[in-house]
Amino acid sequence: MMGIIEDIFRVALSDLYYLKRNILPLLATSMITPFLYLIAFGYGLGDGVTMGGVSYIAYMIPGVVALTTLTSSFTTISNKLMVQKRFYESFDEMMLCPISKASIILGKAVLGVIKGMLCAFILLGIGMFMTDDLQITPLLILMILLSCIVFALLGVAAGMIVSDIPRMNLFNSFVILPMTFLCGTMFSSDRLPFVIQQFIEALPLTQTSSLVRSCALGWDFPWLALVVLIGYGVLFYALAYWALRKSN
Amino acid sequence: MPDYVIQAENITVRYGDFTAVNDISVSIEKGEIYGFLGPNGAGKTTTTKVLTTMMKPSAGTVTIGGHSSSANAREARQLVGVVQQHVAVDKDISVRENIICRAMLHKVPRKEIEFRMKELCDVIGLTPYMDRTVQELSGGWKRKLAIVCALMHNPSILFLDEPTAGLDTQSRHMLWDIIHVLNKRGTTIFLTTHYMDEAEALCDRVSIITHGVIHDTGTPRELCEKLGRFTVEYSSESGSKEYRFFDTRESAKEFYDTLPEGSAVVRGTHLEDVFLERTGRTNTKALEKALRI
Repeated sequence: MMGIIEDIFRVALSDLYYLKRNILPLLATSMITPFLYLIAFGYGLGDGVTMGGVSYIAYMIPGVVALTTLTSSFTTISNKLMVQKRFYESFDEMMLCPISKASIILGKAVLGVIKGMLCAFILLGIGMFMTDDLQITPLLILMILLSCIVFALLGVAAGMIVSDIPRMNLFNSFVILPMTFLCGTMFSSDRLPFVIQQFIEALPLTQTSSLVRSCALGWDFPWLALVVLIGYGVLFYALAYWALRKSN
Repeated sequence: MPDYVIQAENITVRYGDFTAVNDISVSIEKGEIYGFLGPNGAGKTTTTKVLTTMMKPSAGTVTIGGHSSSANAREARQLVGVVQQHVAVDKDISVRENIICRAMLHKVPRKEIEFRMKELCDVIGLTPYMDRTVQELSGGWKRKLAIVCALMHNPSILFLDEPTAGLDTQSRHMLWDIIHVLNKRGTTIFLTTHYMDEAEALCDRVSIITHGVIHDTGTPRELCEKLGRFTVEYSSESGSKEYRFFDTRESAKEFYDTLPEGSAVVRGTHLEDVFLERTGRTNTKALEKALRI
């Protein structure tokens, strides 16, 4: 077990150096969009609106945190992997090292997990100043961590499978962007047409929103969402593993 | 019996219907500099990828230091260092960070990393550039960094895939010196190149590959002698260059004397002549047609 953890660290090391060198610009670019959502929707809609029995801002902040785990973890990893594979070609070198495929996949996910966690904590910190309804608990932190891992694994799988930048942009526009708005992050999906609602319910960001919101607002814990999200994690890991095998 | 560090037998690589490498066998002796020569698209890089375990062949077997590249890939990889055609390092971190990362990936013990990094960087001359990011370095220095990275785990075989492509003359000669130094220190070198002067200056033995097939293997001298030690280079009636090869200076001179004065020269045969004879010279007529001359 220690061997695998050490190998994951070996794979992640170059990304950690990259993070250390660029932490401020990386965090700033990831934080600006959720921050604008908080200002525009949170303050724009005002204190008068309530959702699920809490103020809209309290409802929205956990959703934006969930959303940020997706955008930060996924985008960082998929972009970095694309650069390392297509432009630097340093990823090929990794394939020549005596490191298992599992360690490569998990090691590559580390940067996304760390960045996602940092962004989520900053947003929660800002959220604490905006509302008193948020509860920061170990379970909430655990759910945010799980969410970052799942979306970072999606980033690794996408970075391995998608062959070039235009196709990655296509994936971002048609998969990631719709999830951003539709998966119960800022609004409930209850009023959407039934078919769309059912489809959205199955998406991973919907599960994350539900888990983070329930933990942050003290609602009943959605066990089914946890199971589905773990299932997505396994699926994304399997996809990344398949792509890595295929590339060899 | 020679001590082979790499033995590849009947290697074939197919991409769909296209056969990139067709049933080739390569044996590399311990301590030699082996050149793998071929024009662009001949199958050099594909063969290198197979020999370094980066790619599985469609057919054939590869043994590296006695380890099968398919059954014992991890053990085989520990013996191999690779400098790819494109400098494959992370450009947005420093030289030092790249070297440490590569050493860590090859599981070099942490206490050895600093010592080995200093030793190699001193030999190769990278020490003044340790804290610069890779994107600040020129092409030659990037290539040197790639060599240091490839050597950090002390491999017994170093693969260099067109290491001097695109470099200026000074950088090329500097890299040649480095290759000589590494070889003298006991590293077996596998070098792919399409620069014949490079192969002639560095390699103990070369193979010429084209269209995925090895046409000839031997020392540069042996290959030149096989073709003919002396070359008569002359202009044909159409103005294009023609070449005839002879075993003795006398027979070359005899042919030379039949040619119009000032239209020919007699010289020693170079590896480049062998290469061009094996891989095909420029089709002048086709070129003129293409350029609409």
